[in-house]
Amino acid sequence: MGLLQEIQVPLLAVNDTSLTVVEINFTSGSQVKKGDIVMVFETSKTTYDVEAASDGYIQYLCEADHDYEVNTVVARVYSEAGETAAPPVHRPAINGVAAAPVVKAGPASVWEGETLFSREATRLMTEAGVAPSLFTGRDFVTAKDVRDLLQPASGIQAPKGEPAVTRAGNAPNRLPLPADPQKVIVGKLSSAKKREIEYLGDIQSTGLTSTINTFVETNGIFTHINRSLKHLKDALLPVILYESARLLADYPLLNAYFTGDAIAHYKEVNPGFAIDIDKGLKVLKIARAGQLTIPAIEEEILRLSGSYLDDTLDIDDLTDITFTITDLSSEGVAFFRPLVNKMNSSILGISAIDARLQRCTLSLTFDHRVTEGKLAAQFLKELKDRLESYRAVDTQAALRGVTCFKCLKTLGEDLSGVGFARCITPEGKDGYICQSCLKGF
Amino acid sequence: MLSSKSIINHRIIKEALRIRKVEEKFLELFSQGKLNGTVHTCVGQEFSAVAFAGQLKKMDFIFSNHRCHGHYMAFTGDVRGLLAELLGKASGTCGGIGSSQHLCHNNFFSNGIQGGIVPVAAGYALGNKLKKNGAIGVVFIGDGTLGEGALYETMNIISRWEIPLLIVCENNFYAQSTPQHINLAGDILSRAKAFGIRTGQGETSSPEELMHKAQQAIDYVRGETKPCFFLVETYRLNAHSKGDDDRDPAEVASYAEKDFLNIFRNESPAYYQMYKEVVDQEVDSLVEEILLEEELSPERYHQHEEHHTGNAWTPLETINKRQVELLNAFFKEKIAADEKMVFLGEDVLSPYGGAFKVAKELSFLRPERVFSTPISEAALTGISNGLALNGFKPFAEIMFGDFMTLAFDQIVNHASKFHHMFNKKVNCPVVIRTPMGGRRGYGPTHSQTLDKFLVGIDNVKTVALNTLLDPGRIYQSIYNEQHPVVVIENKTDYGKKIAQQQLKNFVYEHNEDPFPVVRIRPAVSAPTLTIVAYGGMADMVAGMLEQVFAEADHKPELIVPSLISHLPVDLVAASASRTGNLLVVEEGSGFAGIGSELIAAVTEIVPHKIHTRRVTALPVPIPSVKSLENIVLPDKSRILDEIKASFQ
Repeated sequence: MGLLQEIQVPLLAVNDTSLTVVEINFTSGSQVKKGDIVMVFETSKTTYDVEAASDGYIQYLCEADHDYEVNTVVARVYSEAGETAAPPVHRPAINGVAAAPVVKAGPASVWEGETLFSREATRLMTEAGVAPSLFTGRDFVTAKDVRDLLQPASGIQAPKGEPAVTRAGNAPNRLPLPADPQKVIVGKLSSAKKREIEYLGDIQSTGLTSTINTFVETNGIFTHINRSLKHLKDALLPVILYESARLLADYPLLNAYFTGDAIAHYKEVNPGFAIDIDKGLKVLKIARAGQLTIPAIEEEILRLSGSYLDDTLDIDDLTDITFTITDLSSEGVAFFRPLVNKMNSSILGISAIDARLQRCTLSLTFDHRVTEGKLAAQFLKELKDRLESYRAVDTQAALRGVTCFKCLKTLGEDLSGVGFARCITPEGKDGYICQSCLKGF
Repeated sequence: MLSSKSIINHRIIKEALRIRKVEEKFLELFSQGKLNGTVHTCVGQEFSAVAFAGQLKKMDFIFSNHRCHGHYMAFTGDVRGLLAELLGKASGTCGGIGSSQHLCHNNFFSNGIQGGIVPVAAGYALGNKLKKNGAIGVVFIGDGTLGEGALYETMNIISRWEIPLLIVCENNFYAQSTPQHINLAGDILSRAKAFGIRTGQGETSSPEELMHKAQQAIDYVRGETKPCFFLVETYRLNAHSKGDDDRDPAEVASYAEKDFLNIFRNESPAYYQMYKEVVDQEVDSLVEEILLEEELSPERYHQHEEHHTGNAWTPLETINKRQVELLNAFFKEKIAADEKMVFLGEDVLSPYGGAFKVAKELSFLRPERVFSTPISEAALTGISNGLALNGFKPFAEIMFGDFMTLAFDQIVNHASKFHHMFNKKVNCPVVIRTPMGGRRGYGPTHSQTLDKFLVGIDNVKTVALNTLLDPGRIYQSIYNEQHPVVVIENKTDYGKKIAQQQLKNFVYEHNEDPFPVVRIRPAVSAPTLTIVAYGGMADMVAGMLEQVFAEADHKPELIVPSLISHLPVDLVAASASRTGNLLVVEEGSGFAGIGSELIAAVTEIVPHKIHTRRVTALPVPIPSVKSLENIVLPDKSRILDEIKASFQ
């Protein structure tokens, strides 16, 4: 008899203070079985299924396609059918007021035992007049926990709890622009897009970002790199992840973020790469890329991309990304200005390789509140040098890249003694043709 | 002077000639630079090998020393394997790993440690006696070995226990380069007689007589199941190894004249020539063939194994019994039912049952498998090694961990080495148990934790028990091991019960490795301090976690390894990487200790800086007086102070 389960909006990622309910799988009053997926939330990064914890009758307190703040009760499961009557549906709260004073970080809320306080924590609490009940649901409370409560996100560690509430230079909420249905068709902003705006707006809206560009000479660069790669031949992304992850260890300010009144340096280097193939723009984490080999990074890219396409990404694949790389090289762009993600201080953009000029643009956008142009330029220069060091210097290697577009014979294999002629291929591209194909045998 | 005209079996002459030819070939190959290392040839001593090694049965065994080629050929007949071994080829009897001094083939073993081979041979012979298979063994020593204590420890035991072992002492009057009168006192045979061991005597210059006496000695040992000590007077015509010969050339020449093979050459030149041509042809063509062969590839000798700590966790089980009761229960069960089980140690017979009562009632259950040894740590460990080589599972008890130093040669140079130096032909699954640790006021030589000397020995696992895990479970894993294991128990843990007093705000769990790692972590919080403690310290640290939290303002995670020779570096690194703080508590002194090793290994793989600290015993002998003992060994208040000072 009675209430079996109360479903609250979970805290899945520190950046999401509210989630969107995207699916409601039953109607209120329906019978559900233990393990049934009763509803689905969407975060800025992924979706999250909620299962019924036991057999019973469900009462929804929410509506699909609406946002609800973390900890709001959005559904209940009762043991008897009658108990689900008259569901008082919550009004969704979007851009609501500040979070509740006590934020119970995810797992902490499962502890039902006694809360122990360290001597130092007790002293601080007495001093500040903090009631022990504020920590209900925790097993241990140290002085740091007390300080975190009093001053969220102080110190330079990446906070595990809620980020700083104040954001210096944040533009006030603007009124929406008028949209006259006579003249325009208004499309609902998708939840993912809203997150994206919030995510990128966080830093860009301050206007304090700047972008610098450099060229990387790519002539002969793949001769060596391709030997390390199995599937992503002729791609710069794995090697850029590899090199930048190592380089970032020397540039802590680019592996950091602005908290509002301090700079938080990440203790680990976890670069992410942006991906957008039919499933929305996401940034996937290559954890500790600084310790991985190029083949291991390639494998990780393929694994994550696979999970992305199969919708099996883990929340861990999407969180705690400390530096972002966005690769638009397959789109043929000459150069672009990437936008810095929330809780990052910089982002690296990879443009397409210009086949004729044998070079490609790298662009680094950085948060000027954290670092400045000189340091960013040094980073970019060092990265360029490292990448160019992969270029094959021996002439034999250069020869291997020269291939007759018709018979695919390489210059190294050529026995004519005349060499290949540069030509324009029937597709209008630059290419080479061998004597045999040009003149016939 | 004996004449070859007297009756002599030409088979033994051919045998001796063959040995001499191979030895001379080795010297020739050495001078050509084709042998790596060294050779100790037995030119002049061949008939000792033929008389003893040549007259044993196949089921018998031999332990020999550095000068072992003759014994090897006479016993195994495997000339090819020996030649290939010294030429460093994969087809050698030990793949070229052991070479001249370390051979192993069909019950033949040799090792380059004087004296230490004697108790091992005694253990092997004891194994034969337990199996009642009628096999006996010969151990060859030289007059130089008479200086080593392990020999006398063993002679005492083989006589008392009536072990069928024949000790053949080849007296060539020199210990390497030192003439006997400089370092040998008293009489050689009187030594054995003092232990009540039957003795015999002969000389290689009278081969036929020596053959006869050797057969008599062998028959006595086999027939009576008793030991015998046989002294063979002989003379080595070549240097100890190669160029190290300072003997008077006139003296060497006089013995060369008395050498039986030389006499035979002079008196029967036609036969000598005929036999020599046969062995020359045989050995030369073998060498020619072997020189073209491959050496052992590095992969076949050693391959790096990545060690991964299990990460599936099971709750710790509270057992309402004392550790010593559980240990005793394990051994009782094994001794009663297991055919391979042998239990050895000082004072282990019941009703006494060992200094700490682990062996209580074992000798009542199965008296023939429980051996109370004299105070002879080297011999009892060596005998255990020999039993292990002979297919038994011996558990040797060293009464106090401090006495492990007396057993150290047997662990490092014998148990540890056999498997690899004999190119994986044999295993030595010996187990050596010992209690360590202080806090009982026993003072400097009965309180030490000497674990750091026992880790890092090739092929030997070192396990430290604790009060968080069922010792029976750990001992079952030890029982299953195919290689040597040293087990460190803790005196103060014996009386404690298992995994008592689990604090509510912590989760107590262990992984499923054969030697499980215990982890105690905050129930839900992320820990902020990683602590590693093992052995006796695990109990102390586990009991003070709440205090660490309350007073040092840290949420501690305690990791307790039980296999301390292969530390769970990956697990500790993952934890320390998250907490940024790593404390290692050990009861031994800190310099080059377990904590040093663990912290070095962890910092090698953690990408960022972590704060580290070792809390260890102070570098002085452990005092008996309680107030000082508490200061020298790490105690709760010192651990707490160190945490407060080091991890802010």
